Amino acid sequence: MRYALLVQGAPYSSQASHSALRFAAALLARGHNLECVFFYHDGVYNAARLAAPPQDEPHLMDAWCALNTEYGTRLQVCIAAALRRGLLDEREAARHGKSGYSVQSPFELTGLGQLIDAGLGCDRLVTFSP
Amino acid sequence: MILHILNRSPGSSLVYREALAGMGPEDRLLLIEDGVQGALTSQARHFESLGGRLFALREDLASRGLEGRCDASVQVVDVDGFVVLTEEADKTVSWF
Repeated sequence: MRYALLVQGAPYSSQASHSALRFAAALLARGHNLECVFFYHDGVYNAARLAAPPQDEPHLMDAWCALNTEYGTRLQVCIAAALRRGLLDEREAARHGKSGYSVQSPFELTGLGQLIDAGLGCDRLVTFSP
Repeated sequence: MILHILNRSPGSSLVYREALAGMGPEDRLLLIEDGVQGALTSQARHFESLGGRLFALREDLASRGLEGRCDASVQVVDVDGFVVLTEEADKTVSWF
């Protein structure tokens, strides 16, 4: 089956990211496809490229990136939720006159339409909220 | 059949009432994260209308030291079982 996940919890604040990653690993192990993970509300903080957690703690951002590298899972970030929280890719940073950027590939800033597409196009959409 | 997923303890949030009110006669309820506290014998009475359609996630029970303390009415599943529940359901709804 084709799965999509919606993550609305910030990393290290709630269990949402951990629950979603654990569920992702389990569904992939059962032979399903994970088409995309959509980050919305405070979940957009999962895409912060400068995240530097202690080395003896799970690195959530690396775990998301591994899903993209190993399984081609798209990591889509709601652009409206991201920009107002200071999460901008290089293009948006330039557009808003910011000196640095905080989101990079494989995370992509997208619109809510992508979430609708995931809900319509995938067999299952599972939400993990704070 | 819809799989409803609840991550709030009935002791700290009343959202479980909305979840129950929104459930159809065949729907299932899976307790995850802090929601697994609802699987305890002292809390499971909130869900007695569900009969055999109440599940709790083993990993979240274990991380809270609650494994083995569930009410007999609760079916404990691990994360693989969570995936199976989503396979068997037409869709999922998360309550939080």
